[in-house]
Amino acid sequence: MSTQDFVSRLPNDIGGFAAGPIDRAEHELEPWEKRCHALADVLDFKKMINTEEKRKGVEALGESLIGKLPYYERWIVAFANISFTKGYFTPTELAEKMAEVESRTAAEPKPL
Amino acid sequence: MASDPHSQGHSHDHDAHAAISHDEAPGYYEIMETAVRELLMAKGFITANDIRHQIEVLDSRTPALGAAVVARAWTDPAFKSRLLADGRAGCEELGITFYDDTQLIVLENSESVHNLIVCTLCSCYPRPVLGLPPDWYKLKPYRARAVIEPRKVLAEFGTIIPDDVEVRVSDSTAVIRYLVLPRRPAGTEDWTEQDLAGLVTRDAMIGVIPVTLNDRGMK
Repeated sequence: MSTQDFVSRLPNDIGGFAAGPIDRAEHELEPWEKRCHALADVLDFKKMINTEEKRKGVEALGESLIGKLPYYERWIVAFANISFTKGYFTPTELAEKMAEVESRTAAEPKPL
Repeated sequence: MASDPHSQGHSHDHDAHAAISHDEAPGYYEIMETAVRELLMAKGFITANDIRHQIEVLDSRTPALGAAVVARAWTDPAFKSRLLADGRAGCEELGITFYDDTQLIVLENSESVHNLIVCTLCSCYPRPVLGLPPDWYKLKPYRARAVIEPRKVLAEFGTIIPDDVEVRVSDSTAVIRYLVLPRRPAGTEDWTEQDLAGLVTRDAMIGVIPVTLNDRGMK
């Protein structure tokens, strides 16, 4: 791939590239994945993060991280970054909340 | 299985995934999801009820809705005309609400045209009428190849399109979504609308397989 491709095409813009065979295995969404999807829809309905902003937020992660992270993992990281930019919460607030959630969920057995 | 056109290709590995994570501590990204959601709730941007309600909406959307639209179009020519003119209005006529701001274009397969839908940029999909897309629809091989070698992609699903039939690939966007109206199988002339709907699969409405009289589809 020439450097021009990186200039003219963002990481999500893969239509027409060569790729391997289609793996038709499917998985049921994990509960947190479904919550993440519902969160995306709610943020769109409330005009907080729309579909275009979500895609651009994923592209802003860069090609190597996009290649390594699964689908909903990309979304939630993009939502966090967009939330910082839009001032919904700060990186420090997220770090503190994640630490709280981690200690809370480690202490309790996760409900089925 | 991949060469069987009747297969939805998803029956073989549910068990491998079903056992994941109920008794494990949540991972980093799951913790991030909980933290983002709780922060947005604490600041009054969203409510727990918003999320619960949207999960219910997501759970209510399955390919059965799209199948009902297809079966109506097969049996009611006036409805089909309205559906092809305005896909969203046609679905809404059948009581299918659109919970997002998307428009829907219904693409009719014929003797001379076979339609296939894709979202090369990400995963845009007619969710209000089909539910959430299959994993393969969201992954690179399908997104990259569908627009450049659709006949090879279709062949991987067991679908061979004759050379004299045009293959049209429609690339979805954030606001414009597509649904394929498959061809009605021969031999179903006296079938009821409900029985016809039972034949119509998700993958046929994406356009990767035709609707066939498969072994589960008998009346």
